[in-house]
Amino acid sequence: MLSSLWEQTINLTLFVILLRMMPPILLGALGGLMTDRAGVINIGIEGLMLVSAFTSVAVGSATDSWLIGIAGGVLASMLVSYAMAFFSLKMKVDIIVSGFAVNIFGTGITVLMMSILYDSHGNFVPEHPVSIPNIVIPFLDQIPFLGKLLSGHNLMVWISILAVVFCYYMLYHTPYGTHLRATGEEPAAARSLGIPVVRIQYSALVWSGFFSGLAGAYLSMGMTSMFVRDMTAGTGFLALAVVIFGNRHPFGILAGSAVFALATAMTMIIETTPGNVIPSQFIKMVPYVVTIIALVVYAIRKHRKTLFS
Amino acid sequence: MKQRSAVYLDLLGILLAIVAALVIGILVIFMVSNEPVAALQALFIEPFTSLFSFGSVLNRMIPLVFTGLAIVVVFQSGVFSMGAEGQLYIGALTGALTAVYVTDLSPWIHIPLVILAALIGGALYGLLPGVLKAYFKADEIVSTLMFNFIAILFVSYLLNYVFKAPDSGGFARLPFIQDSAKLGQIFNGFPTHAGFLIAVLAAVAVYLLMYKTKTGYELRTVGKNPLFAEYGGIKPKKVLILSIAISGALAGLGGTIEVIGLHGTLKDNFSAGLGFDGIIVSLLARNHPIAVLLSAFFYAYLQVGGQIMQANSDVPRDLAIIIQALLVIFVSSQAIFAYLKQRKLMSASGGGRDAK
Repeated sequence: MLSSLWEQTINLTLFVILLRMMPPILLGALGGLMTDRAGVINIGIEGLMLVSAFTSVAVGSATDSWLIGIAGGVLASMLVSYAMAFFSLKMKVDIIVSGFAVNIFGTGITVLMMSILYDSHGNFVPEHPVSIPNIVIPFLDQIPFLGKLLSGHNLMVWISILAVVFCYYMLYHTPYGTHLRATGEEPAAARSLGIPVVRIQYSALVWSGFFSGLAGAYLSMGMTSMFVRDMTAGTGFLALAVVIFGNRHPFGILAGSAVFALATAMTMIIETTPGNVIPSQFIKMVPYVVTIIALVVYAIRKHRKTLFS
Repeated sequence: MKQRSAVYLDLLGILLAIVAALVIGILVIFMVSNEPVAALQALFIEPFTSLFSFGSVLNRMIPLVFTGLAIVVVFQSGVFSMGAEGQLYIGALTGALTAVYVTDLSPWIHIPLVILAALIGGALYGLLPGVLKAYFKADEIVSTLMFNFIAILFVSYLLNYVFKAPDSGGFARLPFIQDSAKLGQIFNGFPTHAGFLIAVLAAVAVYLLMYKTKTGYELRTVGKNPLFAEYGGIKPKKVLILSIAISGALAGLGGTIEVIGLHGTLKDNFSAGLGFDGIIVSLLARNHPIAVLLSAFFYAYLQVGGQIMQANSDVPRDLAIIIQALLVIFVSSQAIFAYLKQRKLMSASGGGRDAK
């Protein structure tokens, strides 16, 4: 069994599956990061992803364009996150509660729309599926090792990695990013400096809608060509864990998403290996255990001074 | 008098929120349905029209009371635990193992023993994130979410590899429980099982605990104002650990009651989000233990109504989920309550802005 795993590692199958699994976790986590740094933790990423997954595949197959599909999904997700911001920032609904409501809403509205539009409760497979293309890099894909390493991945893989760089640049090299981080660290102080705290928090939530929207579009038009009810299956919550795991930093989050995706990839390979002895449940458990450890380590570092006094 | 008026305004606000959510739901039904009257009738009236469907509503309500109470205890103590789902699984596991493998007991001993096992299992599992929060300040929202995944996977592993019933085929479940651990129907011909009575007892017990004991006072004080509580000599760490352990015990009991009352065995992925539904239930009850009975009933009524609606009309049951989401958001809109109170204050002080 180990030899089979080793073989698939050597011939990069593990790596390819890992990259396939990574974008939804990574993009969801970047959405989580923006809100986390602005002090408005969004636990509704799961719901936002669902809304986008359904909208994008519906719009995409109706217009026969994956690009319009993505745009539709992202827009829908941003609208819902804006509504969430309205309720939590204006109507003073607790941010955890409103995120929670978004998750329920996401499940309900997508299945409702699916059964109204397509008369199905379980899944929607478009007659003319559209999908986000894979990027084959000419010439490079002919080279044995490098080709498989770099070529043939889904466009969203590259977009998600670019998004990491984008978030890093925005958070640490623009005035907006400084304001956003200040808002999250010490809202009262930020306000006294004239930073429009509420507006920043609105924008952070809408950013989380944007990234979750990309993640959702990939679920239904990249990884698959269909929408399945509750197809996020906890990815949004994983994304929250990755934010903590990645030490609230874009590059940390990239590493964290890779770890989670690796666990999923290994589970898939081990499950399909004949004669496997490791129950898949334990491999799936690893990222959650690691996240809890990371959470404790992070908390100890943050509170080192007060903790043991 | 002043306090009573605040309660009255709170109730009015909740009522308004419920009406608003229902009105939107009804509007959506009219928009999407070709037979809105049949759909409305199925959703709102049919759950009451037969003994069977009313009994199902009560059955559906039972686990929600437990997970709702579990959330009430932590939320009132200012702990944002999302861990009821995982605690429910571990409690269901310890309870179910006791119900399956402990034999030759009278029901009068076996059932209490199963309940005890569930309480301990859930409480111990609740302790883990509680200790991490109390001693390392590890954020409980994320940790409890992670502990949920771990519990579900761990139980799934045990059901698939260790305790799998030989006659279960491709289906991962424990062997069926001993007859002596089964909760029967409350009375013959009515589908609701005796777990209903335990749920009501649990709600009363949590009410007494929270409002009539020193521990409850400490929990609520820490929840309202941790600094004040500390000045008052209350130990926040102890309170935090205690509240999340009690919460875990309640959620765990809820899981086991499902096993010994409804399913008769422990199945893989049997909960499907009961722990998260508990959050909705406690929010609708505005964190009051007795109101949890009402809100769990209302929630179960919507769910069963949704199912009947799906079977008898062209509207899917997921409409009920949307109504639930709206309910959560409207009931939690503090601004509405603040507005109502302000209105009341203004009219009490002789008009002000709202002169007509």
